[in-house]
Amino acid sequence: MKTEFIKVDNLTKHYQMGEVIVRAIQDISFTVKEGEFVVILGPSGSGKSTLLNVIGGMDVPSTGQVVFNDIDITNFNDRQLTAYRRNEVGFVFQFYNLMANLTAKENVELATEICEHPLDINEILDAVELMERADHFPAQMSGGEQQRVAIARAVAKNPKILLCDEPTGALDFKTGLTILKLLSKINKEMKKTVMVITHNAAIGQMADRVIRLRSGKITDDHYNENPINPERIEW
Amino acid sequence: MKKMNVRLLRMITQHVGQFIAISLVISVGLLTYVSFTMAMVNLENSLNYYYEVSNFADIYVETLKVPEKGVVDVMELDGVFHAQGRIQYDVPLKVKDEDEKVTVRIESLPTDEYKINDLYFYEGTEIKDPNKDAYVYNLFANARNMVVDGKIHPQILGEEYELNIKAFVGSPEFVYLMENEQSLLPAPGKFGVIFVSEEFAMNSFGMNGYYNQILIKAEPGTNLDILQERVEDTLDRYGIKRIYQKKDQLSHRMVYEEITGGQKMAQTVPFVFLLVAASIMVVMISRTVKNDRISIGVFKSMGYSNKEIVIHYMKYCVLIGFVGALIGVTLGALSAAGLAQMYTGFFAIPYLKIRVYPQYLFGAVLLSGAFSIGSGLIGARSVLGIHPAESMRPEPPKSGHRTILEKTRVWKYISFTEKIVIRNLLRSKRRFVFITLGISLTYAIVMVPMFMTNAFGQIFSDHYSEFLRMDYNINFSEPVKDSALNDIKGLVDYRVISPKLEYPFEVEHLWRKKIVTVVGMPSSTDLYRFKNLDGNHVRLPSEGLFITEGLAKLLEVQKGDWIQINTFIPGRDDISVEIIAVIDQSLGMNIYMDLPFMQEQFLEPNIINGAMLTSANPIKDELEDVPKISSVQSSLDLMGIFKEFLQLTLASISVLILFAGILGFAIVYNSSIMSVLERRLEFSSLRVMGFKKNEIFFILVRENMVMTILGIILGIPIGRAMLYGMAETFSTELYSLNVDIPLESYVASGLLTLVFVLLAQVATYSRIHRLDFIEALKNRMT
Repeated sequence: MKTEFIKVDNLTKHYQMGEVIVRAIQDISFTVKEGEFVVILGPSGSGKSTLLNVIGGMDVPSTGQVVFNDIDITNFNDRQLTAYRRNEVGFVFQFYNLMANLTAKENVELATEICEHPLDINEILDAVELMERADHFPAQMSGGEQQRVAIARAVAKNPKILLCDEPTGALDFKTGLTILKLLSKINKEMKKTVMVITHNAAIGQMADRVIRLRSGKITDDHYNENPINPERIEW
Repeated sequence: MKKMNVRLLRMITQHVGQFIAISLVISVGLLTYVSFTMAMVNLENSLNYYYEVSNFADIYVETLKVPEKGVVDVMELDGVFHAQGRIQYDVPLKVKDEDEKVTVRIESLPTDEYKINDLYFYEGTEIKDPNKDAYVYNLFANARNMVVDGKIHPQILGEEYELNIKAFVGSPEFVYLMENEQSLLPAPGKFGVIFVSEEFAMNSFGMNGYYNQILIKAEPGTNLDILQERVEDTLDRYGIKRIYQKKDQLSHRMVYEEITGGQKMAQTVPFVFLLVAASIMVVMISRTVKNDRISIGVFKSMGYSNKEIVIHYMKYCVLIGFVGALIGVTLGALSAAGLAQMYTGFFAIPYLKIRVYPQYLFGAVLLSGAFSIGSGLIGARSVLGIHPAESMRPEPPKSGHRTILEKTRVWKYISFTEKIVIRNLLRSKRRFVFITLGISLTYAIVMVPMFMTNAFGQIFSDHYSEFLRMDYNINFSEPVKDSALNDIKGLVDYRVISPKLEYPFEVEHLWRKKIVTVVGMPSSTDLYRFKNLDGNHVRLPSEGLFITEGLAKLLEVQKGDWIQINTFIPGRDDISVEIIAVIDQSLGMNIYMDLPFMQEQFLEPNIINGAMLTSANPIKDELEDVPKISSVQSSLDLMGIFKEFLQLTLASISVLILFAGILGFAIVYNSSIMSVLERRLEFSSLRVMGFKKNEIFFILVRENMVMTILGIILGIPIGRAMLYGMAETFSTELYSLNVDIPLESYVASGLLTLVFVLLAQVATYSRIHRLDFIEALKNRMT
């Protein structure tokens, strides 16, 4: 198990918004071990989504370095970033972002068709307990079911890391818990590194490690001695 | 199937109306391309084959009278493969209805083994009795319900002959049968050809041992211009009335004008339709990409490359192009044969050489492919600019600012919904321009058939009502003393009568030459109303000539220039005459002179070869037995023929209107559908505010109506420019089209355009009705 599976070094990301420069991330450094469940906590505008996007190769940093599995992705060109997202990373979004005109199974297949070592789709659908809903369209499913499809889509690619942007943000408490349990299961049983960003501090209780962000800077970075079972989380 | 393709197919199924509308526009373009290109090639091939097997003449010589020796002299010329003398005259035909005026051209058959302009036998047997039997031109026989072994009664030099119809035949010389250049249209029931033995023709016309025409077949590769000069020199002493080559032969020229017209159509119309389809596709795909921003972000987050995503959207266009090509090419190939068949029937070509030319089918598919790939790439290029991280965030609202109208006081008095309409129009400028231009193009295309109907009507009314004021034209079979006019005066009931002298002469200016009919008439006559190019009425001068505008352009001459008239009349010299005025004449090319001046220049005083008159009553009966009258033409008959022609053109006019309708419908329908999809949130908010579905629908209708009105206004100059271009292209030596569109045509085109827009609008209504507004407000699905 790599101790420096992800290495973020002096990372800065600036945006030009009209005449104003927005400093989304300022000089952040940390490392993530392989197989870790990391929760990045912070309020809106703290830079957590930007950080996730840069790690996931969706965005490029202004300065600093991101090393993934010993490969520096900072200076990747567009093609290399595409290949990186295709084979190494799985994304889960707050609003699921499923393709409305594809069924649950087809949404998963859409992801597996382009990657090198996909997992068995039926097994994954079974794992997210959606086998019976495989032929349903997103509009025919609840929010929780849709998010499970989104997770299945991300996992089926067999990525090395799962990046989740507010995965429970659009869900009620009970459904949110099922999603967290699923993410925990993927982390533990499938040995995937999982990074979850959220503003919900309670979710931090289930993580191996919690990084707190405020105004683009790390204000706290600690390991949980005893991460709790997601079922026991309350908010 | 790849899931991206599954998504694409489902996208298409959801917007199947749009898909079909654009495919139809493409298919109309390709249908026109394939059918007209192939029909024209097939027509040309059929015609050439007919010419080949019938030994179509290369040079035609019309003389006053030429002995058999003249033909032998021509035959001996270098470059002549064969020469053939014949007798040809137009004479009246006696028919049951005494008021009906029918003219036939009597043509003698060759006696040689090798036959130039050999006949094609449709039905019947060969002539047995050379003095009693004849063949009849097939279309004429059909139009007049003649039967083989029936009788036909031509009147030659005042004497009626009864001939047995032995066969119905076709001739390469009369593929398009017209009496003369002034006819404009064929009249198969009113003018026909009878083929008789040389013996009968010589006897009945009093031409023993003489011909009045020679047909020449040249050796392959011979320079026809040089040969023509040699023939002219050889036959000069016999008086050449006219000598012309195959390319100037009336029927041949008319068919080739049709072929050229068809080719022009095949080269222009498809591109208009493909360009419109491409524009709609570019707009549609760029808007789909804009609406699919989040989906594209998701694709990119999963690791799909820009290329894969661009191709995904481009395939939408490629499929539209493919379906359009499939329909267009199939219908085009099917209708090409039908079209060629129709043409060969219309043109009396007995051989049908129909082939499918794969190169044109492939060409059409390639064209469609190029246009759809191109528009797909242009439309989807904005995919490249979508940043995956940014696409996940909601798009910032469009920057709002006050429109010009909002800064005025008027704004206060405008209702809320009208404000929405105005703001939307002014803020989506590209969409506004696109739809407005689309509607203006529809309007312009609708104007074309309106103009065509009107233009041909105008030509005829200008020529036969305004310019020519006579009711009848009488032609004598040979020049006569003007006292012959008194005989006619004594026989018919007339209001005004005037003598005339009419001959085809070659006119020449520098190196430009043309054979035209020179007409002489008393300068005092009111039966011709000459107008100069300024629109003022002018009278024939006692010396000098009037020239028609088309001829003046052809010879590159103007008022004050001198042109040479080459006479064929033995003993007379070619003369040079000053142009006193260039006159406006919509049909045909002529030169006009004062009668005494023309008589003095070319013949003798008091010699005429025709007359024209106005009469309230039919005059045919009275003139029936007058010898020396070869034909009587009635202006009314000509107008009747034209009306029949107009009926025929109605079909093609409706096709053009249908095409324009498809275009207008596709543009407005697609834009409206896209509008509904893009503005789901806006409409949902209005619904939440209490707007009814109908009220929202009428916001869209009002937006489109504003664009329709502007489109129509803009369509007027576009349509006019298009028509000027067409008038320039389609005007021929025989007629010139004037762009003079009456108000009714503008209004009718506008109303039709409005109907197309409203139809498209009604089709979008169901979309508004089906839209789940509440779902639209909360949905973040892509």
